[in-house]
Amino acid sequence: MPRKIAGRLAAAWITLVVIAVVVFVGVELMPGDACTAHLGRDAARAEMLTACRDRMGLDRPPVERFALWAADLAHGDLGVSMKRERPILGIVGPRARNTLILAGAAALAGVPLAILLGFLCGLRREGPFDIVTSTVALVAMTMPEFVVASLLILIFAIWLGWSTGVVTAAYDAPALTLLLATPLPAITLALVYIAHILRMVRSSVIDTVGADFVLMARMKGVPERRIVLRHILPNAILPSISLIGLTLAWLLSGVVIVESVFNYPGIGRLAVNAVADRDLPLIQAIALLFGLFYVLTTLVSDLVAMALNPRLRSLRG
Amino acid sequence: MTFAQQLMTLAALALLAAPAQAEKVLNRANDLSFGGAESLDPLSPNRFYEVNDMIYSRLVRQNDAGEPSPELATSWTSNAGATEWTVTLQPGVTFHDGSTFDAADVAYSLRRIEDPTLESPVSSVLGIIGRVEVKDDLTVKIVLETPHAGLPLLLLDYRVRMIPEGSGPTIGQTPIGTGPFRVESYDPEGTTTLVAFDGYWEGRPLIDRVQFTAIPDSEARNQAMLSRQIDLNSVTRDQLALFKDNPAFQLQSFPAGGWFGIVFRTDTAPYDSAKVRRALRIAVNRQDMMTLMVGADGGTVGCDTPVRADDPYRADLDCPQDVDAARALLAEAGFPDGIDVELTTSDLEPGMVRFAEVFQAQVAPAGIRVAIKLAPSDGYWDDVWMVAPASVTSWGERPADQILNEAWRSGASWNESAYANPAFDALLDQARSTLDPVAARVLYIQAQALLLAEGGTFIPYQEDGRRVLSARVRGIKPLGEDYIRWHLVDLVE
Repeated sequence: MPRKIAGRLAAAWITLVVIAVVVFVGVELMPGDACTAHLGRDAARAEMLTACRDRMGLDRPPVERFALWAADLAHGDLGVSMKRERPILGIVGPRARNTLILAGAAALAGVPLAILLGFLCGLRREGPFDIVTSTVALVAMTMPEFVVASLLILIFAIWLGWSTGVVTAAYDAPALTLLLATPLPAITLALVYIAHILRMVRSSVIDTVGADFVLMARMKGVPERRIVLRHILPNAILPSISLIGLTLAWLLSGVVIVESVFNYPGIGRLAVNAVADRDLPLIQAIALLFGLFYVLTTLVSDLVAMALNPRLRSLRG
Repeated sequence: MTFAQQLMTLAALALLAAPAQAEKVLNRANDLSFGGAESLDPLSPNRFYEVNDMIYSRLVRQNDAGEPSPELATSWTSNAGATEWTVTLQPGVTFHDGSTFDAADVAYSLRRIEDPTLESPVSSVLGIIGRVEVKDDLTVKIVLETPHAGLPLLLLDYRVRMIPEGSGPTIGQTPIGTGPFRVESYDPEGTTTLVAFDGYWEGRPLIDRVQFTAIPDSEARNQAMLSRQIDLNSVTRDQLALFKDNPAFQLQSFPAGGWFGIVFRTDTAPYDSAKVRRALRIAVNRQDMMTLMVGADGGTVGCDTPVRADDPYRADLDCPQDVDAARALLAEAGFPDGIDVELTTSDLEPGMVRFAEVFQAQVAPAGIRVAIKLAPSDGYWDDVWMVAPASVTSWGERPADQILNEAWRSGASWNESAYANPAFDALLDQARSTLDPVAARVLYIQAQALLLAEGGTFIPYQEDGRRVLSARVRGIKPLGEDYIRWHLVDLVE
């Protein structure tokens, strides 16, 4: 067991290093650089371009720049944003908090709901509740986030006036202010992944209901309530745990679009701006952070699955 | 802040909300076009223009006809050679910090343009200022290195704002101006708040507060406008439909100076032939092209002039489509079977690719075979512009004298078509030393006619600017941003 956990941790570490290299190379391959993006038409003025490249250290070879960045990173220093001319940690920090608030709100409200709905659909397979819920879920799965976002704003902000349209709170607003601004973006995020989890739970419930041990329990005369709660539920949820982990990781990448459309001051909106500004150190930091979220959530869901499923805990596995 | 404290704050805010209704707050968006590096220094390359326009004043501002009219300067006169300008200032003007505005502040603000550490783009416009002398508290003498009869026009530049003497090093963070609003809090990526300046020399503004919220995404800005979270937004033609026929909004369109063009490098074959260049430009029906691009009433058709439609120095020439003449010119130039053109464009700005496609279709009947080459938007200004023999270009609004000198004078650093004609340069020089505006106008029009006759840049139209206002906004005329008199803008519920 400890060896297995150590293995997972090492794999996570290597994944992060690979992400850092891929991101750096990807940005290098794009035409132009931070200075041409920054100066626009002024880039045609050689002296301005040279001064800018000199100031930002872009005149050094790429390998040297990457090495310098990696060395700083090892000391916990994410570097300085080219565009904003401020330390990246201070820029990314409050926005990462805001994204966690949004994703957290979406997950806390959505995951239990998804499991409950999927479970009910699976138990009453082909019943009217299942048919309606599954159809709605299918539609929700196929709608792009920006369509859902615009529809929600149209209905709840413009027609009904129950909510504000986009978020006008600043990135450094108190956590509670941001939480109060999250309903529409959180629903947008939640709709898609609720549908995914719901369908997964539903089909594993259907599988479990037909399993031999459930039939056996019934023949033994175990009360139906106990069958559902003690036999079907734990066995049906196990295969969904890693999917829920992946979905939570996806939540954090889904925020890029949702945050932009709702003007939510999180890491996703920052990512879009950083790419537009071609702010290389900032892009690298954000990509690394996204990678970290992904790796951590899959790691945690793997560990939870291990803890719940005795078969995965075996030393041989 | 603890949770309890946050609850208290919330309760306090709820209590404050009642009296706050009496306050008139104009809500605006900051599109973060400088990515959070927005500076309140008016001369900075990253100037936070929308805020600066409300907190600082210029010496001169345009009247509704676009002509220079007094703002902090009450009058200006020049010597016969247009090299020495005497400017008289408005008395009784105070800065936001309570100090009095005087000639020393003007001298400081104008000299600062040349400060090399600022890298200010304004130095290319007003670098001709040699020195500024303080004659008395309310009089300055501006001495130019080269004659320029259009100095008042140059001073209309939206970045030439008056700041207190010596305030340069701190102005970007602690702005002090003479404008109708002063900055209460400043955070380009969050919220920037301006409050009415009680001591504004033209009278206290009608609105109490202006709030700028960072909304970088244009779709999000439209949603904010639709749900009445902001009062003012500029929109593209395609986005107009979102607001049309809705009583909650007012739509405005107004002549503006932005344009797309196609640059044919006059020093590169086959475009080094004036006949080829002319053929390429007269083969197009410009009205049709404008209709396809921005709608029949979405702009003003022009004849390869970069000057905005309502500029006093704009040349109104005639340039109808003439396919036969285009064919004949091509044959004369040695292309009897038509000509192949490789045109580079990019989706750098919405419409830049479509512009090339419409041109391609328009010139085909004249035997001009256009192959469109798509370049990445990243690095377009660096790798394609001023390099490719034929490429699509895009320019923002500039005054007549400025754009003609920046983009067509021999050897100018942004001379994208490599146009070099001593006669054209001489016309510009002569215009600059002609103090009589009527005579100067004749010279500027002759210069634009030269561009139509033999220039390398095809400019079919200038697109109008468009803005959406919420229904409660009053006092904003359908004119460009720097025409707005912010102290007269009001909100009615």
